[in-house]
Amino acid sequence: MLRPFDLHRPGTVEEACDLLARLGEDAAAYAGGTELLLLMKEGLLRPRHLVDVKRLGLDTIGDGDGRVVIGATVTHRAVERARLVHERAPIVASVARHVANVRVRNVGTVGGNLAFADPHSDLATLFVALDATVDLVSPRGRRTLPLDEFVRGPWDTARAPDELLTSVTIPPRPGPTAAAYVKFGLHERPALGIAVVLTFDAHGDARAPDRHARVSDARVAIGCVNPRPARAAGAEVRLRGCALTGLEDVIAEAAARAAEASDPAGDMHGSADYKREMVAVFTRRALRVAAARARSAITGEREALAPHYPHAVIA
Amino acid sequence: MTVRVVVNGRAHELDVPSHALLLDVLRDRLDLKGAKRSCDAQVCGACTVLVDGLAVSACTYLAVEADGRSVQTVEGLASDGGLGPIQQAFLDCGAVQCGFCTSGMLLTTKALLDDSPMAGREDVLHYLRGSLCRCTGYRKILDAIDTAAHARVAPAVDDTPSPFRVVGRSIPRVDGGEKVTGRARYVTDAVLPGMAHAKVLRCPYPHARVRRVDATRARAHPGVLAVLAGADLTWCDPYFGPAFRDRPILALDVARYEGDPVAAVVAVDEATAAEALALIDVDYAGLPAVITLEEALAPGAPLVHTGQPLAGHFADLSTLKPEPGTNVCHRFRYARGDVDRALAGAQVVVEDTFLFPRVQHYAMEPHAALAAWDETGGLAVWASTQNPYSVRVELAKMFDAPLSKIRIVVPHLGGGFGSKTYAKLEPLAAALAHAAGRPVRLAASVTEAFQTVRRCSSRVTVRAGFARDGTLVAVDCRADFDVGAYADIGPRVVQKATYTATGPYRVAHLALDARAVYTNTTPGGAFRGFGVPQLAWALESLMDAAADRLGRDPVDLRRQNLLAHGEEFAPGDTPIDGKLEESLSRASEAIQWTSALAAGRGRGVAAMLKASIAPSVSEAIVRLHADGSVTVLASTVEMGQGARTALAQIAAEVLAVPVARVTVAAPDTAITPYDQTTSSSRSTTMTGRAVMEAAEDVREQLFRVTTTHTGVATRDLRLDDGAVVAGKQRLGYPQVLALRFGMSGGELIGRGIVAPGRTAAPLGGSTPFWEMAVGAAEISVDEETGAIRVERYVSVADVGRAINPRILEGQDEGAVVQGLGHTLLEEMVYGDGHLLNGTLLVYRVPRAEDVPDGLACRFVENADGCGPFGAKGAGEGSLIPVSPAIANALARLAGVRMRELPLTPERVWRALRAR
Repeated sequence: MLRPFDLHRPGTVEEACDLLARLGEDAAAYAGGTELLLLMKEGLLRPRHLVDVKRLGLDTIGDGDGRVVIGATVTHRAVERARLVHERAPIVASVARHVANVRVRNVGTVGGNLAFADPHSDLATLFVALDATVDLVSPRGRRTLPLDEFVRGPWDTARAPDELLTSVTIPPRPGPTAAAYVKFGLHERPALGIAVVLTFDAHGDARAPDRHARVSDARVAIGCVNPRPARAAGAEVRLRGCALTGLEDVIAEAAARAAEASDPAGDMHGSADYKREMVAVFTRRALRVAAARARSAITGEREALAPHYPHAVIA
Repeated sequence: MTVRVVVNGRAHELDVPSHALLLDVLRDRLDLKGAKRSCDAQVCGACTVLVDGLAVSACTYLAVEADGRSVQTVEGLASDGGLGPIQQAFLDCGAVQCGFCTSGMLLTTKALLDDSPMAGREDVLHYLRGSLCRCTGYRKILDAIDTAAHARVAPAVDDTPSPFRVVGRSIPRVDGGEKVTGRARYVTDAVLPGMAHAKVLRCPYPHARVRRVDATRARAHPGVLAVLAGADLTWCDPYFGPAFRDRPILALDVARYEGDPVAAVVAVDEATAAEALALIDVDYAGLPAVITLEEALAPGAPLVHTGQPLAGHFADLSTLKPEPGTNVCHRFRYARGDVDRALAGAQVVVEDTFLFPRVQHYAMEPHAALAAWDETGGLAVWASTQNPYSVRVELAKMFDAPLSKIRIVVPHLGGGFGSKTYAKLEPLAAALAHAAGRPVRLAASVTEAFQTVRRCSSRVTVRAGFARDGTLVAVDCRADFDVGAYADIGPRVVQKATYTATGPYRVAHLALDARAVYTNTTPGGAFRGFGVPQLAWALESLMDAAADRLGRDPVDLRRQNLLAHGEEFAPGDTPIDGKLEESLSRASEAIQWTSALAAGRGRGVAAMLKASIAPSVSEAIVRLHADGSVTVLASTVEMGQGARTALAQIAAEVLAVPVARVTVAAPDTAITPYDQTTSSSRSTTMTGRAVMEAAEDVREQLFRVTTTHTGVATRDLRLDDGAVVAGKQRLGYPQVLALRFGMSGGELIGRGIVAPGRTAAPLGGSTPFWEMAVGAAEISVDEETGAIRVERYVSVADVGRAINPRILEGQDEGAVVQGLGHTLLEEMVYGDGHLLNGTLLVYRVPRAEDVPDGLACRFVENADGCGPFGAKGAGEGSLIPVSPAIANALARLAGVRMRELPLTPERVWRALRAR
């Protein structure tokens, strides 16, 4: 049951920002509603105005100089199915396929997910690993923020009340790349999400690393266990420069560093020490999956099926 | 706002407020009741509808979003009057039980098959991640999706060939059609003229004195029709409870747990009632609370109840007694032989303590009641209850009315599992309807269901002594059960379960000592297994520990000690009426107990024995109408288990008519005769026997009329295909009735009564039958995370005779998967006296993906039960061995003995690390 509110349906970004500016704290931007309406039903949020942002032309996925630009009101389902996403950033499509459940994916939006900053978001963790940025528009102008700076903590972002998140941009990787996202947990939302993105020196095929490739750039992002998704710099350093063929030798140490860099709190999803250990376990697993994907890209062989771990999803 | 929407092909123009949810508009404005509200958090899928072909959660979707779109609900799935292929597949495969999830499952399947017509198992599981079912164990839902996708026929059931025409055959359930089309009606689907809506204000503290309730502002709120607090209940006896009347309708002076009802509002709609709740000012003074057994049993512990609770409304529970000055609300002791001496002389003694968590039933339909008083002082309550006649007794006494003035009607139940036994919301709904002077609907949310009842958690210590040859010589069992803030039926759970703490084994010396303990938590009550899972968890784990110590194979050790068919369980009680050894052999063969294990796999086994309720009374009426059709009147509740189908099959068999000619009426205490309770696995056996007797009574009447008019002796008569056959003569039932009544009218009424009465058995009545089952598991464990995967699970239940094998198989599959829930996932967690996980977002029940690929439920059928055609109770037994079978498998695989459920990954991980 929802309390009454006024629903505004602006037709342009400017109108939407004006409304948000004018209504201030009484208003909430509303897209899919899968998070917002849930909290409103529980009485945890009580906005008197909802500003529907689904008619602002923000529901397209575009190509900007090799970057993938996903409009804020694109649904998870649309991301999962977009050709451009499959071509340029397949890991994004794969993660979108595993967000929540099919009903949430049909309605929930990328922008809503990021702007809500639920600490158990899959997308935020992935986008941190992909160096994604978000665009924010307000009557004062437009600004671009790295995801890392945008998400400040649980349900807390750098978005000002009159600002609208309009899109998320995923830059191209500087070389052939393999990525993996692994999440784990018993509950509806993951206890843990690990995104790894390995980029290799470009030799030969621009898209696939060759057998002599080395990791030129590594990204390891840990989600859900910390107040906000964060990169594990120590793990990334350990992976950088490593030969594709020698990755297995450093994976355990990189994962241990990722665990050391995590500072989980104990809650319904697990105790702190267990979560920290699981960061190590699933960073190892995510790195192995990414390494296998990189190897299969070289040999052209069909990638071996990733192992199935109970209560875990590999994207 | 104006919404133009096409629903199931029909255009509507509706004026709806912007905050209206699609679910409410569909249900309340368009009278499309197929979509259900359950978790209310997009987790369960019961409210799934398709918007422009895409599945959405109608509970979290604004109705205005449907403007300009096309909505499909379950009511739109059938075409040209016939069922669609998905509906037919669900029906054929037995994928429907209580029906509460069915509409969402069907529409999710439709969206899936529209998306990927050739969906494989992995796609299906991916799609079903957001679709919960608490009854079926998913196996038959997966079968149905597979069947619909690939236009296959429903998989066969592995059953014994039936010598009967109707009984023993897997006919589709009689209520299947209404459930796959969304026509089945549940309490919250009912609407009465002038009906108002109620909401409950619940105590936010674990224990508090309620000093003052000021409802002045709430009463003045527009749209509010009545507000009640405890102090207003002077015109009735406000106390209820089956064991003790320790529970007031609304807190009188003390609220005893977080969620204890303190006040309630009736208003023109739910939203207004909810608004008014915020206007009630309650002055609480916090009291020290006891949350755990340790806290409640500590010397000088704060008392949850200070006065002597009033005796309950049920004479057969009069042996239950609290221990004054403590939180112990009942103590049960039973001994035989000399346990201390036997233990001292035993070759091997194993001892350990085992913990069982608080578990929520999560029947997908939360509790609901719709109450209305009439001008004669009569009260009618449409209630989501498993036992209308127990609710009737309580209401009659509370409101000082004759039983005949209280009418309890039970439409379909969206799952029960024990959560809907005895009065829950009904007294409050009745009081509110009285105060408001009009019909009042009180519908709990799922979070409120978490605050209504749960499984009694427990701490069980068992010492078991064995002779050198493996004979179990002695069992000493000390069990403490946490029954929460009000006794409900908890003391009886403790007494009855502890009575069978020795399981299916022969034990000469035993000492059983159990306490039911009050705590400041959600009341504990009946839950599938009625306390036996808690005790079997301990005993069956120890049986394996003993086998290790004795150097024996766990299956052999069990076989050696099993009670034999016909052997006495306890003096005066019913002898064992099944072949436990057959179940054990079949289970161990099916799991390939003696064959080599694949790397990383472990196997475990466990057995159980459970008594049914005693004394146990059921009555039934069977009416044979002038056209030869049949109505069965009985008050067992259809809650998904298939009771109506079983009763229809029994009546159809005896009266030699097709099942389609038999109608089983819904329970209505004004019409359908007395039935004690729909619990304790008793419906098919006890109500079924009453129906059988009643049908036989009709048969005798048919014979008498025929004999009178034809002169053929009764012994030469038989029934065949709707006719009495007298030699070469065939008289159709309409002809026989016309002979009897001299016109085409009248009916033959048969009556059946089952009432075994009281006996000298230790609990005052002999169990009518023993429920028994054996479970065997094969598991693997992710050593790095501690996550257990159940690879295969076999359950073998001794059911005497399967009246409908497919429905029974579905029951047992559901029982196993519910068992997987408390074994691996489920636990209500309290922090500082507050329940931390009272929503499906953080209370995890099994999903389709958790069901073992190799799940097999089998039956032993020796027709040795006391029920119709040799049937005996089933449906609880298969749940009980799950926990110990899996823990025993883990012990054999990884060398760790688990003592606390659930076996969450973290708990197992800790145990593995401590090796």
